[in-house]
Amino acid sequence: MEFYTNALAHVMAFGPLTAMIGATLLGVFIGALPGLNPVMAIALLLPLTYSMDPLVALAMVAGIYNGSMYGGAIPAILLRIPGTPASIATTFDGFPMAEKGEASKALKIACWSSAVGGIASAVALMTVGPLLARVTLFFGPAEYFWIAIFGMASVGVMVGSDPVKGIMAAVLGLLIGTMGIDNLSGQARFAFGQTWLLGGLDLIVVLVGLYALPPVLQLAEKCDLKGLSAAQLKLTDVPFEPGELRGLIPTWLRASAIGIGVGILPGAGGNIAAFLSYNAARNASDDPSSFGKGNPHGVAAAECGNNADNAASMIPALSLGIPGNVVAALVLSALTIHGLQPGPQLFHQNPVLVGGFMMEMLITSLLIFALGGAVATRIFAQFQRLPGVLLVPSILILMCVGVYVINGRPVDLWVMLAAGLAGYFLEKLNVPLAPIILGMILGPMAEQSVRRALLISRGDAIELLTRPISAALAIMTVLVIAWPIARAIRRRRRPARA
Amino acid sequence: MEKRQDIVLGLVFVSLGIAAAWMATDYSGASGTYPMVLALILTLLGGAVAVKAVRSGSRETRALIEAPSQMVTAAVIATIYVATVVPFGFYTASFLLMLAMPLALGLRQVVYALVVTAVFMTGVYLVFSVLLEKPLPREAVLSLLEAGG
Repeated sequence: MEFYTNALAHVMAFGPLTAMIGATLLGVFIGALPGLNPVMAIALLLPLTYSMDPLVALAMVAGIYNGSMYGGAIPAILLRIPGTPASIATTFDGFPMAEKGEASKALKIACWSSAVGGIASAVALMTVGPLLARVTLFFGPAEYFWIAIFGMASVGVMVGSDPVKGIMAAVLGLLIGTMGIDNLSGQARFAFGQTWLLGGLDLIVVLVGLYALPPVLQLAEKCDLKGLSAAQLKLTDVPFEPGELRGLIPTWLRASAIGIGVGILPGAGGNIAAFLSYNAARNASDDPSSFGKGNPHGVAAAECGNNADNAASMIPALSLGIPGNVVAALVLSALTIHGLQPGPQLFHQNPVLVGGFMMEMLITSLLIFALGGAVATRIFAQFQRLPGVLLVPSILILMCVGVYVINGRPVDLWVMLAAGLAGYFLEKLNVPLAPIILGMILGPMAEQSVRRALLISRGDAIELLTRPISAALAIMTVLVIAWPIARAIRRRRRPARA
Repeated sequence: MEKRQDIVLGLVFVSLGIAAAWMATDYSGASGTYPMVLALILTLLGGAVAVKAVRSGSRETRALIEAPSQMVTAAVIATIYVATVVPFGFYTASFLLMLAMPLALGLRQVVYALVVTAVFMTGVYLVFSVLLEKPLPREAVLSLLEAGG
């Protein structure tokens, strides 16, 4: 308890508090604009936080993450355009409610459901995270190696439609992670005689390119020259019926549990949590046929589910140093930027920071209640009147500022551009981008761990498998990779027999 | 279409893997073994993607670029912007980008674009140069004026 009260005192200081309020509002705004997403926003923000206090930087990450997950519901309800991938399920009942003239009511339900999901998820993070970190005190280099490989394998297999391409992306990330001077031997690897490559490729530069440029090019392709009319964004207030809000409580409880469970799993994101929560709400309903026709429980389940995924995805990231999704990877990058090593040691070495970030996830979820109501929604919805083609250069400019200020090197702008173009084509070819980033983050940890383990065992690779935890992690890794391949083979054989 | 794309993708990764493995032979001891193993795995996975594509009977079409002219326009202007941001200066290059990109993509409301550009650039200046004091590429115009003065 002292862990959190101490952290709370730091979080409630002027800097982190204003950062949380500002970033939550910014997050709602980003989520409300189709084409912008939280990953892109956090990637653009990170380079600007280099000189900031880590708690302020993490407050901004927490605010944008939670705010944008709710913000995505605004265009999903008003226009049937999901602001973020996690709000696709919100369109199913949100837009029919808007068509019936209940847009304001749907937005209020989305706002409150997002807040409830976020709060439940933050509580899970605050309770499960420190427990898991305590377990990892028994880990040695072999366990860390297998944890890194397991994290990458599960993300590689789960995020894309093709597990082979997912693992291929993770291996590419691992290989990129080897660029530069090897910390253990001092050997320069894949530096091509360039001094700027001796430190390896800057993670944030690659990340901004990979995650921000493809959506910018897609926005350009859509070529939106008009934006939306004022009539499309008009809201009329519809009061709640007695007991209507209380009736949503079971849906919120169910969706929160599903979202938290999905969040802890590496690779599964807010969109999966939202779909599962939506399906669970429909299955539990007395009138499943009303779903898809404007049932408020559909909006509540989807929004609560996708926000319940947020803080829970930080559980493996903070306690094991293994990011479950790209935002968690960005949080780990933020910690690395500030010279902090993610993983169990962080809880002991910097309890104020870890506890503070957990509190920030909780407080920014609470802020959605206060800042995400119909008034804010009305204001943010107005930005959708801007033609999309004006957003294209605006985001490009922000990308360039973000990348240039990291090292002040023009070459980083070219690396960003190259990474962005590569990311655009890789996405089109169904190669997921998240494993590349995770590979870059976890690669050095995996390499150092395996080499240390081999040094300890005097080169005997069998030692990597003899300790019970490392053996269990190795088996889990093999199962994670083998399961989708076996399923694909079985699926191929079935029609052949038929 | 999709089949051909996947064959090319697989072959690109095979080439990357072989090139990386070949380079890793120059690195001594354990610092070469790790990238070598990764490069060989990448080669195998690239090969698996290519072989799977060759063996699949799928004739599904997948557009690599949905609107080629807009995408190429945006990519070329973005490249020109990156090339000019240091020699021209950040604000000059960004101002030109804010005007050129929407007009090249088909926006015809020049006054509207100018107003949005002015508001956005003022915001960028206030946030990055005044509030955060981030060092950005110096304006060529200012250097010329100083040289002239």
